[in-house]
Amino acid sequence: MKRWLCAATSALLGGAILFSAAACGKGDDKIKVSIGMWPDPTLTQDVKMYKQWEAAFEADYPEYDIVADRYEYSADTITAKATSRQLPTVFQTYFTEPQKLISNGWIADVTDELEELGWLDKIDANMREAVSKDGRCYGVPRDGYGMGLLLNLEMLYDVGVIGKNGDGTYALYDEEGKPLYPTTFDEVREVSELIVESYDNTYGLVILSANNNGGWQFSNMAWNFGCEAMQLKGADGKYTANLNDAGAVKALEWIRDMAVDELIYPDASLTYADWYAKFGSRNVAMAFCGSDSIMLPVTNFGFDKDKIAFVPMPTGDGSSRYSLYGGTPYVFPSYATKEQIKGALLFLKYMGRSPETDEISLKAIEKGHQTAKSKGMPIIPTIRPWTNAEYLAAANALDEQYINVNLAYYDDFFDTLPEMKRAEEPYYCQDMYKLLDAAIQNVLSNKGTANCKSLLDTANSQFQKDFLNKVN
Amino acid sequence: MKQANALPEDRSSLAYKAKRLFKRNWSGWLLMLPGLLLFLFFVWAPLAENVLLSFSETKGFESVGFNNFENYVRVFHDPMFTKALVNTFKYIFWSIIIGFLVPIVLGLLLSEAVHFKPFFRLGIYFPSIVSGMAVVIMWSYLFDPNPGAVLNQLLTALGLPVSTFLSDPDLTIPLIVVTMTWRGAGGTVLVYLSALQNIDNSQYEAARMDGAGALARIWHVTLPHIRQTIRMLFILQIISVFQVFYEPLVMTSGGPDGASVSLLLLSYQYAFQSFDAGASAATGVILAVIIIALTIVYLRLSRPKKNTVSRKWRKYAKKTAQ
Repeated sequence: MKRWLCAATSALLGGAILFSAAACGKGDDKIKVSIGMWPDPTLTQDVKMYKQWEAAFEADYPEYDIVADRYEYSADTITAKATSRQLPTVFQTYFTEPQKLISNGWIADVTDELEELGWLDKIDANMREAVSKDGRCYGVPRDGYGMGLLLNLEMLYDVGVIGKNGDGTYALYDEEGKPLYPTTFDEVREVSELIVESYDNTYGLVILSANNNGGWQFSNMAWNFGCEAMQLKGADGKYTANLNDAGAVKALEWIRDMAVDELIYPDASLTYADWYAKFGSRNVAMAFCGSDSIMLPVTNFGFDKDKIAFVPMPTGDGSSRYSLYGGTPYVFPSYATKEQIKGALLFLKYMGRSPETDEISLKAIEKGHQTAKSKGMPIIPTIRPWTNAEYLAAANALDEQYINVNLAYYDDFFDTLPEMKRAEEPYYCQDMYKLLDAAIQNVLSNKGTANCKSLLDTANSQFQKDFLNKVN
Repeated sequence: MKQANALPEDRSSLAYKAKRLFKRNWSGWLLMLPGLLLFLFFVWAPLAENVLLSFSETKGFESVGFNNFENYVRVFHDPMFTKALVNTFKYIFWSIIIGFLVPIVLGLLLSEAVHFKPFFRLGIYFPSIVSGMAVVIMWSYLFDPNPGAVLNQLLTALGLPVSTFLSDPDLTIPLIVVTMTWRGAGGTVLVYLSALQNIDNSQYEAARMDGAGALARIWHVTLPHIRQTIRMLFILQIISVFQVFYEPLVMTSGGPDGASVSLLLLSYQYAFQSFDAGASAATGVILAVIIIALTIVYLRLSRPKKNTVSRKWRKYAKKTAQ
C-alpha cells in the first residue's frame, strides 16, 4: 500500500511538472506586444500615462494585446535575456550597443517595416548610422544626448563664480556676454578649488570610474585635450588604437592632479548612478553627464530644477571642444514576428515617438510633457531623432508651451551642440571604456604615484591586441 | 529444449545490478524521479554544457564550433586573470585572519557568557538573517570615502586620519572580508557553540583541580575537542571564499583597477560584460578544478581519527603530575 502511495505521489508530482510546462505555452489569439520601456510600478503617473496609451492603441488595433514587460537594458543581462528569448518585443538600449547586438544576431532588421510606414528617411542621419549595419536599419532612435557640464548654480553663486540678475535668476554671462561658468578644464579646477575652500565635505567635480562610465566620460575629455581620436583609421582602412595619445595622457594627468589636490570626489569606483547621487546630495558642484539625464538629480534627490545649468564641455587645450553625442534607440528581438514588430512600431506612435504629426502623436507628446510637469521635472529642449520639418515644427511648438526652466541656463549647450557633437569611437566602445576605467581607477587610488602615460600605454596595447585586431 | 536455449542472466553485469536495484526499490525511484529530472535540467545539464562551452567558439551562449584549448589560452594570457587568481588567494588569506578567527573567539566568549546569553546569541546571529545584498549595500555606504561619511566621522572623532576605504587597493579586500564576516560569522559561531556545549564539564573541573588556568583550559581541553569542527569549517570557509562574487561586484565592481576582482567575478564579467561565454566557461572550469582539489583535501582531513583529546589530556595530566 505504502509503495503504491509513493508511486501515486510521484506520478502526481511528475504530472504537475508536465502540466506547468505545457501551461507556459497557452495564450489567447491576440498578437502580444510586450513593452520593455514600461515604467516602474512606483512611478504611478507614468504608469497611468502608459495605460492611457495602451487603451488608445488597443481600441484602434483590437488584434493586438499590449503587455507591460519592463526591461532596463544592461550589458550584464542582455546575453541571458536574448539567449533565453525573454526579451520584450521592444526595448531601449544605447547607441554603443546595436552593433554588438546585430553581430550576435539578437535584434531584428526593421528596414522594411520602417520603409512601409514612411519613417526610414526621416531618421536623423547620425542616429540612423548608429543603428544600421550594411545599409539595413535595426532600430528606431528615441532621442539623442550630448555630453556637457552640469552646474549647481547656487554653489557657483555662493563662491562668486556667477552673479545674479535683477529678477533673482542667476547670471551666467558677464556684461559683454562672455560666459562666467568654466569653459576650460583649468577653470573647472579653479572653481573646484573655490568650492572645496568654501564648503565642508564637498568637492568640485565627480569623475566616474566604474562599469565603463569612466571611459565613456574620459573619451570626451581626451578629445577636448587634443586627442584626435582614440581609434585611428589608416590609409589601408585598418584601425590603430590611440588611447595613449598626448591629449589622452594630459586628460588623465588632469584627473590625477585633481585627485591629488582632493578637488574631485575621492571614490575610485563610481558608477553612473553615483554622479546624480553626489550632485543631488550636494557633495559636488559639477558633473559631466548627458543632456538626456539632467532631470535625474531632480527626480531622485529633490534637487531644485531652477538651480541647475547645463553648459558645453570645457576645452583642455584651448581649441578642441567636442560633445560626445549618443542616444537611446528602440530595438526589437530577432525572434519577434513581423506582426509583433509592426505592432510595436505603431505603439511608438501612440507614445509620441514617431515622426507622425497626427492628433494621436501630438497628444502623446503633450501627455508626456504634462506628466513630466506634474512631477516637477525640468522640461528642456530635446535632441530629436526625426528630421521632417512638419514634425519638428509641431514638436518644438509643444516644447515651447511646456518648457519650465530658464532657457538661458541651457542656451550655450544647445546652440553649440551642432558644431561640437561627435559620435562615440567606432569599434568595441564598451570594451575600450572598460580599459580606460581601469586606468582612471588606478590614477584615483594611487594618486601620488600613478604614471598616466604608462597606464594608457598598457590599455592601448591591450585594446589593440584583444579588440582592434579583430576589426583589421 | 526451450529451457536449454535460455541463457542464464549474467549476475555480475551492470545492467542486471541496475535492474535489480530498480526492482527492489521501484517506488522509491519513482518518488525521486521528479527531483532527479529537475536536477538533470537545472544542475547537471548546465554543468556539462559549461564544460563543452569552455572548449568552444561561442556566439552569445551558443557553441558554434570547437576550438580546443583556445579559451583557456586566452584566459591564461589575460592580465586580469592573474590578478583575479592572486586576489582570490588574498581573499582566502584575509578570510582566515578575519573571518576564520572571529567566529572561534566569539564562540568561546559566548560559551563563557553567564548573563544575557540568548541576547548575545541573537545579536551575533542577527546579521545572518539580513539579505546579503542589503548588507553589502549598507557597508558600501559606511565605507563612503567622503570625510563627512559615517566611518570617516568616527575616525576623525578618534583622532585618526580619514580613509578612502574601498578606493584604497590595499584595503579593498580586507574590508570586503570584514563585510562578509559581519554577515556570515553568526552562523559559524552557532556551529562552534554547539561543539563547545558537547564538551563534558567534568573535564574542565578536572583541569581546574589540576591547577589549569583559563588559557590552559582552552588550550588543553576546549581546542582539542573542537579541533574537528575547526578543521571542517576551515576548509569549508576556503571553498566558499573561493566563490566570492556579489560582494566585490556590488561594492567595487572588482576595482580599483582590478584590486578586488575574484575568479567568479571575472567569469561573470567575461560572460555578461564582454559577451565572451567561452572565456567565462573556461574560468568556471578552472575554478571548479581548484575547488575540487580543495574538496579532496577537505575529505582527507575530515576522515574520522583516533581520539586525540584523551592523548593530549593524558600528556597534560602527566606533565602537571610531575
